Amino acid sequence: MKELKGFSKVRLFVAYIMIALCVFLGILGMVFMESPSVAAERKVIVQAMDRDPDILDTIKAAWYSDALIYLHDRLISRDYDFRYRPGLATGWEVSEDGLIWIFHLRKGVTFHDGTPFTAKDVKWTIDTIKDPKTASPSAGDLKSIDEVKIIDDHTVQMVLKYPFPNLLFNLSNTALGIQKAGCYEEYGEYYGIKTVMGTGPFMFKKWVRGDRIVLVKNPDYNWGPEWMSNRGPALFDELVIRTIPEESSRIMELVTGGIHVLRDVPPLQADKLKENPDINIFIDQSTKLGYLAYACDKKPFDDVLVRRAINHAVDRETIVKYIFSGYATPAYGYLPPALKDEYLEESEELGYKYDPARAKALLAEAGFPNGFETTLSAENDSTSKRLAEVLQAQLAEVGIKAKIQLYDSASYVAMLKAGQQDLFVRLYSWPNADILDWFLLSAQFPYPNHSRWCDPKTDELINSAASAPTWEIRAERYKEVQRYLIEQAVWCPIYIPDKMLAVRKEVINFKNHPWMIQYSDGIDIVTK
Amino acid sequence: MLRYFVRRMAFLVLTLLGATIVIFSMLHLAPGDPIDLIVGPNVIPEVRENIRHQYGLDRPLAVQYLSFMKSLLHGDLGNSIIQHKPVSELIVERFFVTLELSLTALVISFLISIPIGIKAALKRNTVTDYALMALSLIGISMPTFWFGLMLLYIVAFKLRLFPVSGYGTWRHLFLPALTIGITDAALLARMVRSSMLEVIRQDYIRTARSKGLPERVVINRHALRNALIPIITLLGLRIGWVVGGSVVVEIVFARPGLGRLMVDSILARDYPVVQGVMVVLTTCIILGNLVADILYAVVDPRIKLK
Repeated sequence: MKELKGFSKVRLFVAYIMIALCVFLGILGMVFMESPSVAAERKVIVQAMDRDPDILDTIKAAWYSDALIYLHDRLISRDYDFRYRPGLATGWEVSEDGLIWIFHLRKGVTFHDGTPFTAKDVKWTIDTIKDPKTASPSAGDLKSIDEVKIIDDHTVQMVLKYPFPNLLFNLSNTALGIQKAGCYEEYGEYYGIKTVMGTGPFMFKKWVRGDRIVLVKNPDYNWGPEWMSNRGPALFDELVIRTIPEESSRIMELVTGGIHVLRDVPPLQADKLKENPDINIFIDQSTKLGYLAYACDKKPFDDVLVRRAINHAVDRETIVKYIFSGYATPAYGYLPPALKDEYLEESEELGYKYDPARAKALLAEAGFPNGFETTLSAENDSTSKRLAEVLQAQLAEVGIKAKIQLYDSASYVAMLKAGQQDLFVRLYSWPNADILDWFLLSAQFPYPNHSRWCDPKTDELINSAASAPTWEIRAERYKEVQRYLIEQAVWCPIYIPDKMLAVRKEVINFKNHPWMIQYSDGIDIVTK
Repeated sequence: MLRYFVRRMAFLVLTLLGATIVIFSMLHLAPGDPIDLIVGPNVIPEVRENIRHQYGLDRPLAVQYLSFMKSLLHGDLGNSIIQHKPVSELIVERFFVTLELSLTALVISFLISIPIGIKAALKRNTVTDYALMALSLIGISMPTFWFGLMLLYIVAFKLRLFPVSGYGTWRHLFLPALTIGITDAALLARMVRSSMLEVIRQDYIRTARSKGLPERVVINRHALRNALIPIITLLGLRIGWVVGGSVVVEIVFARPGLGRLMVDSILARDYPVVQGVMVVLTTCIILGNLVADILYAVVDPRIKLK
């Protein structure tokens, strides 16, 4: 009888639990699950990214979501040839001494809440970025600006501390999306999370953190830059940017039609995707450079002979073929060729070709006839890992025994700052020659100048280029910088990955842009 | 009963204390600085120090810890360094995503493991038993990551029966829940089997059979209920883990859950978020254990809580 009591209690308990679970799940279902969208009439394009942004605010974000490019306009736009053209500024003049810039602002532009765009918004945006209290990661971009003056509602004057033709680049960057003056006070502490206010071709609808950002087209948009074929509102209704961390999942979503646009197609998947009739692959030159760097203040890397030897030891063609399946170009210089004006065309001629015999000879001359031992550091993503393994093998051929050490991103940065590196693998992605300032000026030591290259001649050449009075002179001077860096073998440049985009065939009128996809420029989607 | 409850609550507090100290120390001892990830390297040192001060990261570790515990007592889990928002908000956002997945997976795993375990126990040492236990062994040995991707590949990709990833409808829930459910069921099936085997050998089962009851009644009315007692307590234990969810499944199926929040925050050295999630997780596990123990006592009249 005791047993009976036991199991009727059990029965009751189990029953309670089951009922509670069902009710709970039912409530969950009703409250939290979205009903499948009524897809019929709305035209939605879905793009996948591998990470979610920290905040949708161009002023405070350390990492910019693509969404910010479509939510905001910038004073200066970049056309299909990466030339700087009018954006929110219809024109600009620079004084003789290069210190005063006057921008004429476009009339008839409004923010998504209807407020007209005027000079005060430009001033507020720039002042807020530069304000140390805001702690904006892009404050450094604007250090050449001393003051922004409002001349009238549609004219702004910027007074510079020194001539800086590269201001065009900075003003056309995502970081300088023009924000509405006072938006922080107006929209409160949830600005950048529950609201985003801009003048761009797309408006913020919602952000489900970790999952997706939903943008809707701005029906009032009619101030697209002159070089666009469609200067009015976007042709489709919604742009959704989904966060899918796993690479295989992104590819599967693309093939099954769950997403329409995938940036950064992994090279190993490219061939298979190309064969797929539902998918178009767009390949272009990227503004990235993968390289092997040295801690130049440590032996034996302080000897230019050793640095040149390692340059000769690396077989770039093999790396391009096997790690990138041919979707990359060997690199011999310090900038990618996509930077048309600034790139040194003779980089390949002047660079160091694969020649293990020469490498060994140089090492012997430097006093290492039997090579030496060292460490090779890399981040633990799949490409860097593979690259490190191949480099280790290639270096071993000339007698350099390198031990591989892998790090996650945060630890890698910490390690570089602490200066523990010897040889290490890096990849930069930046569409401007000032990346050389960033990495190689001695003022940047020890981080981000993790090459630990403190050389007065380099400083002189780079500073002269950065403060050149005109864009053309600047480009010429940066070529001098590149010549010198190649001669000194400060890095061992390895590859320039191709920029690959995969787009489903339902997306029509797709044009590849050297910077970012211009969704408002005539791109559309056919719904079945 | 009340004294028992109070003692267990005290134990909860002590464990939380220990767990938070360990997590706090490990996080801060790991290399990497979240300030780098917020401001970028090209910032004037003054500004960096300002921000470090704003987040209180310039104080000695012991002070930071005490301040964290003090806020915790007020229910304030602090603010995320990277995402600029209160940690509690971030957790609540993701909480239900993880919960719905874990609960569904739990239900699926019980629905699969109980019949299999019983069948294997009743048909002990026959081909059926060996086959079912072999299946369970395969299930235990399969990495969740691999199994999830395989399921995705075959069911969502090749057969197009379900969406590949994402969060929203029940169709997005099915494959991830099945992934966790099946891998968990594999282990549970063995436990059900052993529990059932033990019960079947009891005298009262022999009595029931000798009374002439049909086998079906013997199993369903007498054996099963007693065999399920340890399984129910297992349910209590697993309920604590429900909040932790499965990071791997959340990554593969792109679900914005707590597991992913935790991993992303660890990689970004977002200390407040990691601490906050760990506190929530630890509390849930301990409460789950408590529920399990109480359940066990309620359900089995032979047990008295001391």
